[in-house]
Amino acid sequence: MYDAPNLETRVTQTNTKITARGVQVYYGDKQALQDVDVDILDNTVTAFIGPSGCGKSTFLRCLNRMNDTISNARVEGEILLDGENIYDKRVDPVQLRAKVGMVFQKPNPFPKSIYDNVAYGPKIHGLTRSKAELDEIVESSLRKAALWKEVKDRLGEAGTGLSGGQQQRLCIARAVATAPEVLLMDEPCSALDPIATAQVEELIDELRASFSVVIVTHSMQQAARVSQKTAFFHLGNLVEYGDTSHIFTNPSDPRTESYITGRIG
Amino acid sequence: MSVFFLIIVLGVLAIAGFVLGRGRALASVQGNTRRLHSLPGYYAWHGAIMAFLPAMAVLTLWLIAQPLIIERQLADYFPAEQFENDSQRILLMADVRRVAEGLDVAVAAGALTPQDAETITVADGSVRERLGAVGVALGAEVTPEVLDAAQSYRALASTGALGRAIVTLIVALAGLAYALRITNGDFRARNRVEAVILGVLILASTIAILTTIGIVMSMLSETIRFSSMYPFKDFLFGLTWQPSFQGGSELGLIPLLWGTLYISLVAMIVAVPTGLFTAIYLAEYASPRVRSIIKPLIEVIAGIPTVVFGLFALVTVGPFLRDWFAVPTGLGSSGSSVMTAGLVIGVLNIPFISSLADDIINAVPQSLRDGSYGLGATKSETVRQVILPAALPGIVGAILLAASRAIGETMIVTMGAGAAAKLDLNPFEAMTTITVKIVSQLTGDTEFNSPETLVAFALGMTLFVITLGLNIFALWVVRKYREQYE
Repeated sequence: MYDAPNLETRVTQTNTKITARGVQVYYGDKQALQDVDVDILDNTVTAFIGPSGCGKSTFLRCLNRMNDTISNARVEGEILLDGENIYDKRVDPVQLRAKVGMVFQKPNPFPKSIYDNVAYGPKIHGLTRSKAELDEIVESSLRKAALWKEVKDRLGEAGTGLSGGQQQRLCIARAVATAPEVLLMDEPCSALDPIATAQVEELIDELRASFSVVIVTHSMQQAARVSQKTAFFHLGNLVEYGDTSHIFTNPSDPRTESYITGRIG
Repeated sequence: MSVFFLIIVLGVLAIAGFVLGRGRALASVQGNTRRLHSLPGYYAWHGAIMAFLPAMAVLTLWLIAQPLIIERQLADYFPAEQFENDSQRILLMADVRRVAEGLDVAVAAGALTPQDAETITVADGSVRERLGAVGVALGAEVTPEVLDAAQSYRALASTGALGRAIVTLIVALAGLAYALRITNGDFRARNRVEAVILGVLILASTIAILTTIGIVMSMLSETIRFSSMYPFKDFLFGLTWQPSFQGGSELGLIPLLWGTLYISLVAMIVAVPTGLFTAIYLAEYASPRVRSIIKPLIEVIAGIPTVVFGLFALVTVGPFLRDWFAVPTGLGSSGSSVMTAGLVIGVLNIPFISSLADDIINAVPQSLRDGSYGLGATKSETVRQVILPAALPGIVGAILLAASRAIGETMIVTMGAGAAAKLDLNPFEAMTTITVKIVSQLTGDTEFNSPETLVAFALGMTLFVITLGLNIFALWVVRKYREQYE
């Protein structure tokens, strides 16, 4: 599509990848999220920030219908991925999740070898026709996750034997291998030490070239470092959404300012 | 003083210790409980424990030691060579005890005066008849030695009972006095009670272990006796099972082992997939409401006595299999068969496997499921590729435990598998198992000194070794391959 992709020009693009309109989420009788309207752009890192329990993770889990696995969760409103409503009856949530990958708070490698962890997605979605192709996907995914050099000689070893930071990068590689269009990350660095965090953050910036990345984080420094767009959630409401530089330097809403300056949260 | 009465007295002393200990602790701090090291209840319990426990320990030791000491004292009444032989001595002592008890009963009933009971001799007429008149039946006429020994036994026993009561009470009172003497505001009664609780817990946990060791020792000694009468190699590798109480038995293990393993195999083929699929359904698919109904219903099966399962095998499953499968296919004409017993044992084991596997599957962290769903896997893909591999060691352990239950199952095979020891591949033939033969060799009028009866212990030992081996292997698999979840 693009000859010589140029990050600078791509950032300025405003192709909307996901459009959310009037999203409401209920857990049983309790409303967890109300009236969320957001446009998430392609090739952009979007950060969701806000105090605990504000609904940012809930909203993230709406984007690939992970809330379906919680029996009493109910989602209303409209979420469009490339103009298609993902809560439409015709949409298969399993297919959707192949397009909208997810990385979780705690590294959760499967109790399998490193190779099989990465090959898991491509295998179940039939993305490859030969072992050679699969090998290639595993290698390129591990390279994208900046893990290839560390594990290339021990692909057969258990993924659970890696260090915490390596495990999280393995989970990112696993998500990347399915060739998603959007990558959702739910506090991907909260279980990692500063060095591993720095590696993952660097990685997120590189992933932006190929995906739309949405990251939930508790660390405002992290949001400021990695994202171009930031959404601030508070008590189940989307308070403010805009360019990261704008939100952190000149927020329009007093609540955003209070949170960023550390007065609420 | 009877043992029962003695224990009641100890109980009363313990209650006294409870009340006094508490009172003394409170008095030592003028009723200000905040100055006590421990809560008043701990001083109370300490008083009760010190009054009861040491005395109870002494009483227990006394009850164990007294018969042994008396037995030693009675050695003089009998020829040494009779007393050296274990089995003869046991018989003699049983006679002595029986006569001594008979004399007691006669005295209590007024048929003999206490003096008569001490001085009666064989010359005074038939002791057997006189005891028979008060309802004590003796197998043979009483010999002079046994009568003398019995009289001596009575004297020793009554002295022993008196000494027992005195010593026990002295220990109890000493314990009580000690507890009261050291009770004051600074005494750490709480720590002392904690130590006693620890001791009780350790004792409880050793009882099961000691029992196991006891069982193994007794089986081992009988098995060794068996091997001195029948060549052990023939037992282990013999292909024929033909016990005959007239002698010339062939006691080969192999047909029984084959029957046991064949039936267990059929049972596991039924139980493993069904139990595992049940567990997967319950753990991964069923809604909480459905689960709360189905799980107890399945576990009801585990509560049905196996003899009822045996009846089910005998009157329902057996005839059904015979009339619909065995006879039409020409494979057999017997209602009792490997299939009958195997199917029913399999059903019995379904809840066992499903319940264990359900717990194991539930222990797989939710984060692994989320990871798999987040990559676009369906439920069954997640179960097959992530959850089962993660839960596999536990599931293998559960299966092995179920297998050892199937191997040890007795009632269902007795009623459903038949009694013919055969080496056959046809699952519709009647076969028999180790457990069935243990039962049949030991029931009825048999003496414990022929290889035909003692073989039961060798069979029991074999069974024990097999199931123990399976259990150890199961534990090893579970430990070795268990995923360490955070």
